[in-house]
Amino acid sequence: MQELTLKQTLNSLSGFIPETVLIATVIVCLFLDLILRKKSVIVAVAGIVGLLVSGYFAYLQFGMREVIFTGMAVVDPFAVFFKILFVVSTIFVIIFTISSKEIQESTHHNEHVYLMVAMALGAFLMASASNMIMMYLSLETVSISSYILSGYTKRIKRSSEAAMKYVIYGAASSGIMIYGMSLIYGFTGSMNIYEISAILAKSAVTGNPVIVMSIIMILAGFGYKISSVPFHFWTPDVYEGAPVPVTAFLAVTSSAAGFAVMIRFFAVTFLQNNILLNGKLQIIPGINWTEIIVVLSVASMIIGNFTAVWQQSVKRMLAYSSIAQGGYIMLGMTMATQQGLTAMLVYLMGYLFMTLGAFYVVILVANKVDSDELVDMRGFGYKSPVIAVFMAVFMFSLAGIPSTVGFVGKFYLFSALIESNMVWLALVAVLNSVVSLFFYIKVLKYMFLMKPEEELTPKYQYGIGNYAVLLLLALPVMFFGLYFAPLVKIAEYSAILIGLK
Amino acid sequence: MQKYFILIVALPLLGFLINIFFGKKINSEKFSGWLSSLFVLIPFLIGISMLFQLLKLPPESRKIVFNYFNWISVGNFNVDYSFLIDPLSLVMILVVTGIGFLIHVYSIGYMHGDDGFARFFSFLNLFIFAMLHLILADNFLVVFLGWEGVGLCSYLLIGFWYEKKFTGDAAKKAFIVNRIGDFGFMTAMFLVFANFGTLNISAFTGSIAGFAVNTPLLVTIALLFFVGATGKSAQIPLFVWLPDAMAGPTPVSALIHAATMVTAGIYLIARTSLLYALAPTASTVILIVGIATAILSATIALKQNDIKKILAYSTVSQLGFMFIALGTHSYVAAVFHLVTHAFFKALMFLGSGSVIHGMHEEQDIRKMGGLKDKMKITYITFLIGAIAISGIPPFAGFFSKDEILYKTFINAGIIPYLLVLITAGFTAFYMFRLIGLTFFGKPRYDAHIHPHESPGTMTIPLIILAVLSVTGGFIGLPHLLGFNVLDHWFEPVFKNAEMVIKGYTPEAEHSASVEIILIFVSIIVASVAIYISFKKYSKQDKFTEEKGFGKVLENKYYLDEIYDATVVNPIYKTSESFLWKIFDVKIIDGLVNGIAGFSSRLSLDWRKIQSGIIHDYAVLAVSGVILIILFFLFK
Amino acid sequence: MLELNYFLVLSALLFSIGVVGVLVRRNAMIIFMCIELMLNAINISLVAFSSFLGNDSGQIFVFFVLTVAAAEAAVGLAIVISLFRNKESLDIDKINILKW
Repeated sequence: MQELTLKQTLNSLSGFIPETVLIATVIVCLFLDLILRKKSVIVAVAGIVGLLVSGYFAYLQFGMREVIFTGMAVVDPFAVFFKILFVVSTIFVIIFTISSKEIQESTHHNEHVYLMVAMALGAFLMASASNMIMMYLSLETVSISSYILSGYTKRIKRSSEAAMKYVIYGAASSGIMIYGMSLIYGFTGSMNIYEISAILAKSAVTGNPVIVMSIIMILAGFGYKISSVPFHFWTPDVYEGAPVPVTAFLAVTSSAAGFAVMIRFFAVTFLQNNILLNGKLQIIPGINWTEIIVVLSVASMIIGNFTAVWQQSVKRMLAYSSIAQGGYIMLGMTMATQQGLTAMLVYLMGYLFMTLGAFYVVILVANKVDSDELVDMRGFGYKSPVIAVFMAVFMFSLAGIPSTVGFVGKFYLFSALIESNMVWLALVAVLNSVVSLFFYIKVLKYMFLMKPEEELTPKYQYGIGNYAVLLLLALPVMFFGLYFAPLVKIAEYSAILIGLK
Repeated sequence: MQKYFILIVALPLLGFLINIFFGKKINSEKFSGWLSSLFVLIPFLIGISMLFQLLKLPPESRKIVFNYFNWISVGNFNVDYSFLIDPLSLVMILVVTGIGFLIHVYSIGYMHGDDGFARFFSFLNLFIFAMLHLILADNFLVVFLGWEGVGLCSYLLIGFWYEKKFTGDAAKKAFIVNRIGDFGFMTAMFLVFANFGTLNISAFTGSIAGFAVNTPLLVTIALLFFVGATGKSAQIPLFVWLPDAMAGPTPVSALIHAATMVTAGIYLIARTSLLYALAPTASTVILIVGIATAILSATIALKQNDIKKILAYSTVSQLGFMFIALGTHSYVAAVFHLVTHAFFKALMFLGSGSVIHGMHEEQDIRKMGGLKDKMKITYITFLIGAIAISGIPPFAGFFSKDEILYKTFINAGIIPYLLVLITAGFTAFYMFRLIGLTFFGKPRYDAHIHPHESPGTMTIPLIILAVLSVTGGFIGLPHLLGFNVLDHWFEPVFKNAEMVIKGYTPEAEHSASVEIILIFVSIIVASVAIYISFKKYSKQDKFTEEKGFGKVLENKYYLDEIYDATVVNPIYKTSESFLWKIFDVKIIDGLVNGIAGFSSRLSLDWRKIQSGIIHDYAVLAVSGVILIILFFLFK
Repeated sequence: MLELNYFLVLSALLFSIGVVGVLVRRNAMIIFMCIELMLNAINISLVAFSSFLGNDSGQIFVFFVLTVAAAEAAVGLAIVISLFRNKESLDIDKINILKW
């Protein structure tokens, strides 16, 4: 073990500025809330400013490759990429909470802001954790905050039921995960994933059942975060019951953080870091974790898409859709190549904008009709054509129609699969996208083709701010759909993990 | 200066965006019209400055590449968004933006009072944007983007007055016929990528340089690109859309369907001249198609009565001339004729627009007559255009057409030459029939129509184009008259192609006497045709039903009917009785509905698993974990 | 010195009891207690490994697991209270408005 000196720790702090800023932001928001005690946007603004500052410092970290706090965490382009992703999504979600009637009508809505910033902090740590203790702690930071948030509107039955299911499911999953971690620790004698990897590579662990078992147990913890089948059961219920901004947060930030920690854990621990064969990293012999991921990914795509078809609640439909989208993203891990990783990052960036956009439209609709059911969206295309058109953009993008960013992500994933000779998997994914078209377009059918019972006039009025937020989300979807070279550049640059060639 | 080059495409795009989004709100014709015109004028000036840039360079290195960004990069499939400026693309830029600007200005007068004024100008700017991509791109995929873009603009502008049904039909016809051509273009692109691993034009022409002449692969690619060209440049068998496209506003006919877009096919072949030099078989096909198209449409034009239809068939015929030049490997002559044709044909279209404007939307030349005193400027400029196209020296058309005739004689032989010569005679004939019936004789229009000269925004472009039609030919003087600027200018572009051609054609004896004889023959043919035609039609005021062959010509050889009977109707019938009723309804719909039904049934049952009870979830998740563990332990 | 395996077997047994408890018990409070049991089983195995390997990391992990468990219990209990106010029941087989 390295000697832990004060000097080392202080040096590490320089790589920890974004996180420090977030901690400060949480404290400032907490005090502001205590002082102001009113429903004011000042707390939200303070939260957004804190996130922006933290994002700026994270941006400055691009290019750094450092191990900080004696191997507890690392700073590398991969982590920085995710940090910026979290900053962007958290800012949008805080804006959502301001415009959501559901949350504005609940008491103490300012608490939302600093709980979300705290979750962002957890997500930051998840992206950079390189030690199993750190992974567990950061995962729990995100989880515990999200338990609270999903039960936030506590007078509403659905909300507290969702929180109940979430906390039981989450606590049990993370329990299973750390059992797996303790087994790995017992096997290798280390909590640091780099050391574990080195030890595993040296010792002949071929097919050791304990290792396989512990991998699957750890996967239960990560799988629950990214809502992968068969750890997805909480997703539809929680997404439906939680307030929409929280759902959006879970769907984007929380699951992206899950991907970040999962990718790092598997890529670092179970790949032979120094041996390149035909330009491909070799997985540690005897531990065919990529096959496990293939199974989970296919199951997620199929179950997510097919179950989404019959949903009546848009939120629930989006929940199943995000299970399926998680399945697509996991495809990128199945080939254990740089290309696959790049494709995942491209997909995640697109996923951020299109999913947040879809949820924002759900919020705007719910503000007027107090419902997220498809039947209540009938005629929305007439009552608010502009917002309905935005919804069309997001739905097309989620379905992967060309000239949207959703297509670009799928395109890169599938072409990476084909280059790795996994054509059948690409085929399964393409067929799944065809099925997904069915329910994404159904939303548009309800909005544009079906008439509501009441009159079509008067039209719904929305503030200019709502349109501006939608535009901010829709522009990247369309722009990067046409001109995606910069997106790919960023992803290629970010697909660098410390310790991996 | 070079860093502002992107403005050449950015400004038209900006003009499009401003007019389409805010045009209606601003609601000012002056603003929309002049803004759009300005955003085409500035690219023209940029083009001029690039001309000086190129002139500063030594001839061999006159090539500037602007590489903006990497557009697509997947595996080994790379598409750069880059522009290539060389003598060829520069000439095209100047023609497109220069004439484009004049036509924009003209449109301000012509479209005055139209409801869709801003929409019209936004589409025109979009067209310029797309056309510049077609010209400048150094990559087949970006060219194709421009290619499709101009097609889209053409569709939008033909159907601009969408309230009338026939404009919609004409727009659809243009769109569908062009799809067939695009299919050729796309297949050619796929072949290029599959065999050469790149879509970059320079890289492609670089890598075919070592190929043997008439390699089957190259001939196939060349022919497929030519199929694309026949669609866009209205050649047999895909020319049928162009005459119908005259349903659009006249400035559109002038800009898109005479001067610029329809020359895209010629430009494409000139750009890949090395490919065609290496594929003489394909070039022969081009020559035959060109001659056939030129004669066919020139004869149809003899008996048309709609002023714009005559000009449309004339355009098809002149495009045929350009393809003849390409088919005889005379790339300079083709581009030369492209330029002069752009001048005089745009002039005549705008002139016809002025006539139609003055005659209150009358297009039938039988109902005109004696307009020369009422519309002096229009008359004089139109006459200049007609003389230019007929090939009377020293007007522009003479030099370019003569070059084509001469090259045909040397490279293709006497029979093609005679065919082209006769077509040139027809050209002079129908043009002066048009002049005679429109501007001479007694007025044959209703008494309540009072023809009047058009406003300055319309006549000034006419005058400028008329001046160009007179002087434009001097850039390409025949060799025996002096120094040919154009030949020299294009030398670096076509150098490689010409080297290849020299390899398999015997060096043609350049004989001044032959050239002189040919020049005189063509002048005589044109003059005689003009004389006969003018004498007959300038005094005619009775019209009888056409009989015999004349009727066949008036009805365009019944080509539309033949196409309907042989191609359109069979397709329509099969698609209705088989494709729609059986294939689509039974098989496709059945399949789709089957899948949809299956997946929704599946979904209906499947979602019951999500019972809402957390115990079930926990049991399922744990059994999932156990299943996975068992699978990997015992596999 | 007891053998490592005894601790591991004990830990595995406790963990299994906890898992089974989560699967079969209907009262939300008991389920939380079962989760605590699972976590403590893990703590046993961590401490056992730690002392067997002579490596501190395991014991450090135990501290964090305890902390997190406490936090989770606090949040969990708060949610139980809010649920009980809405439903007047803690039988989790009866909370299924959200389904399908």
